[in-house]
Amino acid sequence: MAWKSKLALAATTALIISACPASAQDSFADVGKQEPITILINASPWYNGFEKVVGLYEEQTGNKVNLEVTPFNGMLEKARSAVRSGTSPLDLINVNATNSTEFYQAGYIEPMKEIDPSFEVPKEVLGLDDAGCWDEAKKYRICSSGKLMGYTPNGNVQLFYYRKDVLDEKGLKVPVTFDDIIKNCAVLQNPPESYGYLQRGERGDSIQYDFMAYLLAYGAKPVADPANGDYTVTINSPEAKAALDKFIEVAKKCSPQNYGTLGQGELIQLLQTGKGMQAHAVVAAFPNFDNPQKSAVVGKINAAPLPRATPEGKPGVAIGSWVFMIPKNASDAGKKGAVAFSKWFLTYKAQYEYALGGGIPVRTDVFTSDLKDKPEFRWMPAYLDEIEYGVQVYGYVEAPAVSEAVGLRLNQALVGEMTPAVALNTLAEDMKAIFEKGGRKTGTLPPLAD
Amino acid sequence: MSLSTPSARRQGLSDFIDRHFKLLTLAPALIVLVALTLYPIANLFVMAVSTIRFESGGEIWAFTPLINFKQLLNDQIFRIALWNTLLFAIASVAIEMVLGLGLAILVGSMTAFKGVMRTALIIPILMPPVAIGSMWKLMYSFDFGVLNQIVTGIGFAPVNWTGSPSLALWSVVIVDVWHWTPFVFLILFAAVEGLPKEVIEAARIDGASNRDLIFKIIIPLMMPAIVVALLFRTILAFKVFDEVFLLTSGGPGTSTEVVSLHLNKVFFQQNDLGYGAMLSLAIIAATIAFLWVARSASAALEKR
Repeated sequence: MAWKSKLALAATTALIISACPASAQDSFADVGKQEPITILINASPWYNGFEKVVGLYEEQTGNKVNLEVTPFNGMLEKARSAVRSGTSPLDLINVNATNSTEFYQAGYIEPMKEIDPSFEVPKEVLGLDDAGCWDEAKKYRICSSGKLMGYTPNGNVQLFYYRKDVLDEKGLKVPVTFDDIIKNCAVLQNPPESYGYLQRGERGDSIQYDFMAYLLAYGAKPVADPANGDYTVTINSPEAKAALDKFIEVAKKCSPQNYGTLGQGELIQLLQTGKGMQAHAVVAAFPNFDNPQKSAVVGKINAAPLPRATPEGKPGVAIGSWVFMIPKNASDAGKKGAVAFSKWFLTYKAQYEYALGGGIPVRTDVFTSDLKDKPEFRWMPAYLDEIEYGVQVYGYVEAPAVSEAVGLRLNQALVGEMTPAVALNTLAEDMKAIFEKGGRKTGTLPPLAD
Repeated sequence: MSLSTPSARRQGLSDFIDRHFKLLTLAPALIVLVALTLYPIANLFVMAVSTIRFESGGEIWAFTPLINFKQLLNDQIFRIALWNTLLFAIASVAIEMVLGLGLAILVGSMTAFKGVMRTALIIPILMPPVAIGSMWKLMYSFDFGVLNQIVTGIGFAPVNWTGSPSLALWSVVIVDVWHWTPFVFLILFAAVEGLPKEVIEAARIDGASNRDLIFKIIIPLMMPAIVVALLFRTILAFKVFDEVFLLTSGGPGTSTEVVSLHLNKVFFQQNDLGYGAMLSLAIIAATIAFLWVARSASAALEKR
């Protein structure tokens, strides 16, 4: 509820700002002369947008920024090495939200206000379910009682993608529920020429993240109430079982035969080559579909909010964001420079330029700007429609181990190594053991009948 | 009495140096080597009986000797990974040894283009593992891979190379065989080139067939090189990581989970350093046990 209120406040503020001619929208922030800083950034699909906006920052302010561009898989170890060293060579590090808790908990991150008490995240910036906050006592990600440790530079969520031309031609409606997807794919599935629905089933982060669209839509959650210290594992609830059954049904009826190993790269390739008719994938993938050098379906793919369990239900929107944070062991000049860059980066104009360059902005007023009416940003309305349901699934320090277990057991169920009930029961035991090791108050639900 | 005079003491020292000269000159290097080898292993042992947490900007070590060991005993994934690793090592090394030996004898018997063949055959071991993984991942791709284009081109259904739990491990074995057979070939080819020609010629004059020549003369003479190649490849196969990581990441399910991959996940992704160290020790123990069993079996066979 707090999240919804914040969004409503942010949207209202955006409207007020847009009606005010001499507003903050008109200018970038003046951050003065700063020492050069180094930013650890991932080579993800939205990197080009970030590189462009950093170029603009250098041009405008004369401040130098070195970008330590690193593949996704190398980010965590590079960030760990930096924060555990004497003086961090990195002044601003981008860490996957799932792993960010490890850094907060270990005391390696300097709270933003302790570097610059005047630092505020603008109200228009999406909080993305408290991604940048940490309550040390609760060992949980929460802004109301915690400190601001960072902010997200990329509010990545998943969207439903579909071939508008094909659905129109065949007289099919844009699906609202997972059952609608199955109905559509009965018409669209014609392997190997076309596949009715693509979702990642690859073991690990891929299936873990894509399954959340089902889990959350079916009203299930992995843990009872972690914000208040109740780590009872609820991943083997009847709702979670219904979600997993549906996920497997969609994979078997609508996906390629290798649904158990389908990863992000192959999913995007299938959409780009025109074989994928419907899919859910991260919003950052969208520019790939309209790139004439890579795609055979330029202008033919549209976006909509993720499907729901029932027409009246909510979409299951798991936020897969990153968090920009400043290492405690960075130099004082580096910390100051990183805060200055952050202030500039979160302004409306910088975020607007970021979006133009291919980034996923984090300000609501950029989503409601003229960009949403441009064909290349036709995903923006769908994004705004579903972001209000966005949830950070893991807000605790055990997140990497839990996420790893989820990614394994779900994949075992998908490829038939275990039945869905056994997989979820096993996963519940795995998670309970992880929480016990972390000294949490935990337990499990009664096992699901196989 | 004589030792007490200065000249006698000098003589004694000189004798000591003469007797231990080799040891004394080697000592500095030995000390460095032992320190560099023993310290990390000792540290691994200490980590394995500890729980390591990162808090307040530093590491906190707690001596918890049984926690990691209990976790190891209850770790079902480790048991599956160990079994997969064993299967992988036996299958890939066996195929590589047979192919490597066959190629070494074949190329060794050639009278022309021997150098060209040798150079062409070792190309796979010159390639970076990442390039090999990417190349084969693309070749195995269900929809876009060249292998399935060939399979469907001749009228069969596409094969789910890395997506089928029953086939995935064997797909990785194929890549490993492609990658490492040249290594076996290179060692055995050098042995073939060093075989005493007169022994082979004498056997031919005595009427030995090609089969007798290979199985009763060449292979027994090459046995020391074969054992070296087998040993190297077995150790490397037990440590397989890059090929599995790049092709399947242990999936689908647990069908290609191997011990190094499991260790990587525990150590680096889950940041559980204590249990990661315990897993490392378990892997070292398993490798030594496997090599000991293999050596005992080989010695028993030789006796027969």
